Amino acid sequence: MFIRSLFCVLVHITIGWVTSPAFGEVSVGEKLFALKVKPLFAQKCMACHGDEPKKIKGDLDMRTRESLLLGGETYEDEVLIPGKGEESFLYILSTRVEEGMEMPPKEADKLTEEQTWGIRDWINEGAPWPSQERVAMIQKKYAEGEQVVTSKALSDDWQKRRYETKKLWAYRPLKVEKVPEDEHPVDWFVNRKLKEAGLDPAPDSSPLELYRRMSFGLTGLPPGRLEAIKFEREFGNSHDALLAHAQELMASPHYGEHFARHWLDVARYADSAGFANDYARPNAWRYRDYVIRSFNNDKPYDRFVKEQVAGDEMDPTNSENLVATGFLRMGPWEQTGMSVFKETRQMWLDDVTDSVGQTFLAHAMQCAKCHDHKFDPVPTRDYYGMMAVFSTTQFAERKAPFLSSESKEGFDTFAQLIQSKVSSYEKQKRKLAQKINQLKKAETGNAKVGDNGLDPGDEASQSRIFKNLIRHRIELDRVEPVTHAVYTGKTVPMKNVQGRLNIPEDPWAKGYLDPDVIYDGGSVYAQGEAVRPGGLSAAESLGGMTPRPFPADKGKRRLALAEWIVNEENPLTARVMVNRIWSWHFGRGIAGNPNNFGGTGELPTHPALLDYLADWFMKNGWSVKKLNQLILSSETYRRSSRHPDSDSLEKKDPKRLLFASFIPRRLVAEEIRDAMLLASGELNFKVGGIPARPDLNPEVAFQPRQIMGGTASVYEPDPLPSQRNRRTIYAERIRGLRDPFLEAFNQPGPEASCELRQTSTVAPQALTLLNAEEVHDRTLAFAARLLKERKKEPAVIQRAFALALGRSASADELSACIERWKQATAAEKEKAPVSKTYSQKIKRTVMAEKTGEPYDFWEILPVYETYQPDLQGSEVDARTRGLAHVCLVIFNLNEFSYLD
Amino acid sequence: MSIHKPNLVANLTRREALYGLSGGLGSLAFASMLQAEGAHSIGSHHPAKAKRCIFLMMEGGPSHIDTFDPKPALTKRHLQKFKRSGDKESAMSSGERYFVQSPFDFIKAGKCEADVSAEWHHLKNHVDDLCFYRGCQVESVNHPTACYHVNTGNRFGGDPAVGSWVTYGLGTLNDNLPGFVVLPRNSYPQGGASNWSNGYLPADHQGTPLRPEGSPILDLHAPAGVTRKDQRHNLDLLAKLNGKHFKARPDQGELDARMSSYELAYRMQMEVPGILDLKGETKKTKEAYGIGDSKTDSFGRKCLLARRLVEKGVRFVQAYAGNWDSHDYIERAHGSLIRSVDKPIAALLGDLKERGLLEDTLVVWCGEFGRTPDNGIRGGGASYGRDHNAKAMTMWFAGGGCKAGHTIGATDEIGAEAVECVHHIRDVHVTWLNLLGLDDNKLTYYHAGRHKQLSQFGGEVIRELIA
Repeated sequence: MFIRSLFCVLVHITIGWVTSPAFGEVSVGEKLFALKVKPLFAQKCMACHGDEPKKIKGDLDMRTRESLLLGGETYEDEVLIPGKGEESFLYILSTRVEEGMEMPPKEADKLTEEQTWGIRDWINEGAPWPSQERVAMIQKKYAEGEQVVTSKALSDDWQKRRYETKKLWAYRPLKVEKVPEDEHPVDWFVNRKLKEAGLDPAPDSSPLELYRRMSFGLTGLPPGRLEAIKFEREFGNSHDALLAHAQELMASPHYGEHFARHWLDVARYADSAGFANDYARPNAWRYRDYVIRSFNNDKPYDRFVKEQVAGDEMDPTNSENLVATGFLRMGPWEQTGMSVFKETRQMWLDDVTDSVGQTFLAHAMQCAKCHDHKFDPVPTRDYYGMMAVFSTTQFAERKAPFLSSESKEGFDTFAQLIQSKVSSYEKQKRKLAQKINQLKKAETGNAKVGDNGLDPGDEASQSRIFKNLIRHRIELDRVEPVTHAVYTGKTVPMKNVQGRLNIPEDPWAKGYLDPDVIYDGGSVYAQGEAVRPGGLSAAESLGGMTPRPFPADKGKRRLALAEWIVNEENPLTARVMVNRIWSWHFGRGIAGNPNNFGGTGELPTHPALLDYLADWFMKNGWSVKKLNQLILSSETYRRSSRHPDSDSLEKKDPKRLLFASFIPRRLVAEEIRDAMLLASGELNFKVGGIPARPDLNPEVAFQPRQIMGGTASVYEPDPLPSQRNRRTIYAERIRGLRDPFLEAFNQPGPEASCELRQTSTVAPQALTLLNAEEVHDRTLAFAARLLKERKKEPAVIQRAFALALGRSASADELSACIERWKQATAAEKEKAPVSKTYSQKIKRTVMAEKTGEPYDFWEILPVYETYQPDLQGSEVDARTRGLAHVCLVIFNLNEFSYLD
Repeated sequence: MSIHKPNLVANLTRREALYGLSGGLGSLAFASMLQAEGAHSIGSHHPAKAKRCIFLMMEGGPSHIDTFDPKPALTKRHLQKFKRSGDKESAMSSGERYFVQSPFDFIKAGKCEADVSAEWHHLKNHVDDLCFYRGCQVESVNHPTACYHVNTGNRFGGDPAVGSWVTYGLGTLNDNLPGFVVLPRNSYPQGGASNWSNGYLPADHQGTPLRPEGSPILDLHAPAGVTRKDQRHNLDLLAKLNGKHFKARPDQGELDARMSSYELAYRMQMEVPGILDLKGETKKTKEAYGIGDSKTDSFGRKCLLARRLVEKGVRFVQAYAGNWDSHDYIERAHGSLIRSVDKPIAALLGDLKERGLLEDTLVVWCGEFGRTPDNGIRGGGASYGRDHNAKAMTMWFAGGGCKAGHTIGATDEIGAEAVECVHHIRDVHVTWLNLLGLDDNKLTYYHAGRHKQLSQFGGEVIRELIA
């Protein structure tokens, strides 16, 4: 009682004190409060200490000075002791010295030293708490940082909050500097920074190194030996030769394959839907080929964007446009009999909003789904505005006649194989049905209990066969002239989606319109305020975009968004793509997070260069090929990866942000596999078409894989080597069955968008490259090829180096390899390799869901009726097998996997 | 020599900047064999009892109603009709539905009088070491999304698993073993290996599955016909040729690390089979775990292996059992599943305790969700089974500072929904880390421009579960 009344007195006094300074005169403490402390509270504290009055943590309410003086359950009146900053726990906890009571609790949210000082100084000044109006007045007069006009925030404080100017870079209009005429723009900007840092650039790479870099960089394949030698000669005469060679590489269809690989990482391409059933997306491959085609034809990037976001709304009679919209459905998604449609529909709406945001605008939209964005000027209203663009977007496998540019190769054999699989299951199904009819007895008890006279696996097999029949029938759609696409119309609730979805005759007849609203707290069951379809309001206000209202109702909402994205006034779009392309060449972006241009992403190291390139890109018709040429023709691109003064490089640019030397990189998973196939002479260069099924680690291929209702069919590779040994981009990507070889070398999973590949070095990679059957198949074919092309030992080894490493072997290397070859040949002579055999059926043991007991079953593998293995050890002599050991060593060399 | 970065050789990642580049490989060790680098760790954030964890993952969704959460009210309503409707109606809830009683009797076990179905003949003797929790809720009623949620905190998968976070936080206790080992069934769960993925954390925090059949680690051995001598000679030539290349690029530490990783891989081929060898265990021990009995052999081996692994210093072991997805014939299916895990788990708990390991080993038992008190019509009749239920489940903890001998939280009268001490799975994750001395809010990793954490955006510790 006594304490309480003391408080009352104290509160009284302090309130009196706060209001005492003469109106208009702003005290130091007031300024600290209005400019630093209050915004800090709003950003870091109020989520737990006031925003939700019913859920205040630790009983500490920070909404008013009075409540703060009362304190919370742990520190009571020691939380805020006006005049005594160092002793107030508000300050002490913010410095994180009290273990277990660090505030804010999240390490990532911790205050900077300067911020904690602001709190301390404010308390030392008596902790004044001016009124809201007065705070607004002080902020207006003195505030640093800037406010951003956005659509409208959920909270007033957020609306008024201020941003560090430098973190708003991505929303501002491009600032294009003039580059002197005789200067290469890339070098002009890069060298200026180097000069500032007092760092000399590395000299040019050797022509052969440079050409290998170009070849992998533009096509993902090692250079041809003859082309490399030609380049070396011509580049020696004049550096201008580089451009012609770059153009030649970009004219090859493999350029599109390689650049598509980059794009598909961002788009999360896969040939299956993921999750419980992991059903095939039989027509997804047409989207993959669309991307390849687009890069090969140098489709202007603005058109490329528009087609993917709104191709159907532009012109639904054009197959190209429909195929492009597959992008919108690339994420994992399924609707099973167990799912609530409203929720799965919302999962997709969230997914597409986020993925469009990340891909084209470098904004992870999901961060604004439940609350206004914590760091960036993206209010929740913008999130739902962009989501509303997709309210009328619906799924369909639409009719889309094949274009002459699409490959229809292998349709028949594929369909036949699947048919035989289907027939084998149907036969088993009939047999099982007979058995069940004969043996099944009525169950005892008042409910079905399973004592029905059947074996533990009978009913499980029934359901497994039923499910796999559905799965394979879906696969048959792969060769049909339909495409994985969308249309605009009302939402029609779906139950169990397993197969083709058709477009209704009148898309506006049945179903309902998804509400265009904010879902409070991100819950689809909590409809809040209405929103209009729209883009990012900060990009409009800071970027100075002319407002263009989006249509609602039955209008073409996606087309409006697409046009908004590619509008040349949009400050984000060109910057985002230019930054991606830069990162594909240099291994890091000018801005370090290609999917995140917000305040928490890394700031651009060369903002002027980024802006210059973005502007140049648009002025040059959004041409990716032209941009590649501009980048490749720079000194910066040509630089050696080995800096002559590594000490000074380490000192002045430890993070390698200044591009003083080229950053070496390991090949990505796909490049490693493709390079082996190319060296061995097995690579099938065909472009496009239905997914290939390469050989997979057999233990993984045959391992039972659970799906809803049973076990998925075994992975069966294509029967012919030429079908299997295609470029990796054509390998079927099954979400629930990753290729362990590719996974080992950091191929990202197709669940989330990958902004840039990661590289790790772990021992399982060594195991894979040393031991995997697929690698041994390559080495044997490589050895056989070498012996076919060259006779004498030194010539054979020289040829191996030329094909695999693009250079000749030194005398030392030559003798070491020949010595090993001889030794291995001697050892191989003692061996009698046996041919691998392939069974046309396999016995598998799994657990039956209904009975909880294990059971066996036989699965028929029709592909092994016609399967032709790659070259086998038993087919060649000991000398070839001996050479294969040397080839294995070559494929395992650092030099093979690393680009200078 | 920590190597995990965007495609750059020379560029330093944030992690490297924080922990520095350790030079040399030091002792030739299994962890390093897998990782080609010394394991890094943040270190614990607060003192905690649990130093390691065994996660018994009951894939498929065990029914709380038929294991540890008796619902006598269902007996009265057995086979009475029941209708679910409204917004949240799924295809599953369409048509006629019936309440289903548990086919099992329940007993009060131990001093704490825990509710246990009478089928748990062995586990019932250990309930005083268990902390049952009935308040957890998840969001998804489909297996893969729910499994991802429980395993990684993210329904869509692709994020690091709990075990990855724990090894990232605490490192490994023994350089001779990987920090996070998974003991999967011979058929991988729905959603596949993403259930133990390292996500965006460095690759050395990936769960290492020791496969129960075939090669325990893929490509551990060379194809038939390649001898160890062949390999040695090949590696010698490799080292020679690589040496020359590296000499011209002395600043690229990654090249050196890669060279070492080959030697490590070579030795790994010798070491790994020994880890799996149960020969050193007595007949009595093997019998206790149910090894040799076809009903319990499979999970018994996993439990014994789990004990051996944590004993040797593995930080986090996840063992899979299942499939608990009993839509039909729950008596037969759950009966058989309980039998398959009951003895092995009891043996594991007893063994850990006897060796003084239970005190600082956290054991967690759960599935991806619970099951419904009702079922639909299947095959022309009401079947004695249950569907998926995200709103109620039972999980239990043992050892490692959990509140042993207590049952926390409760579900409603029929087990349809948690009603007491209700928490989202993210709070369970936060508590789980807390028991291991880790603070979810501090255990973050900067990726794609954001500090990420297991709970996604923070959660609270469920104090009731902590002793």
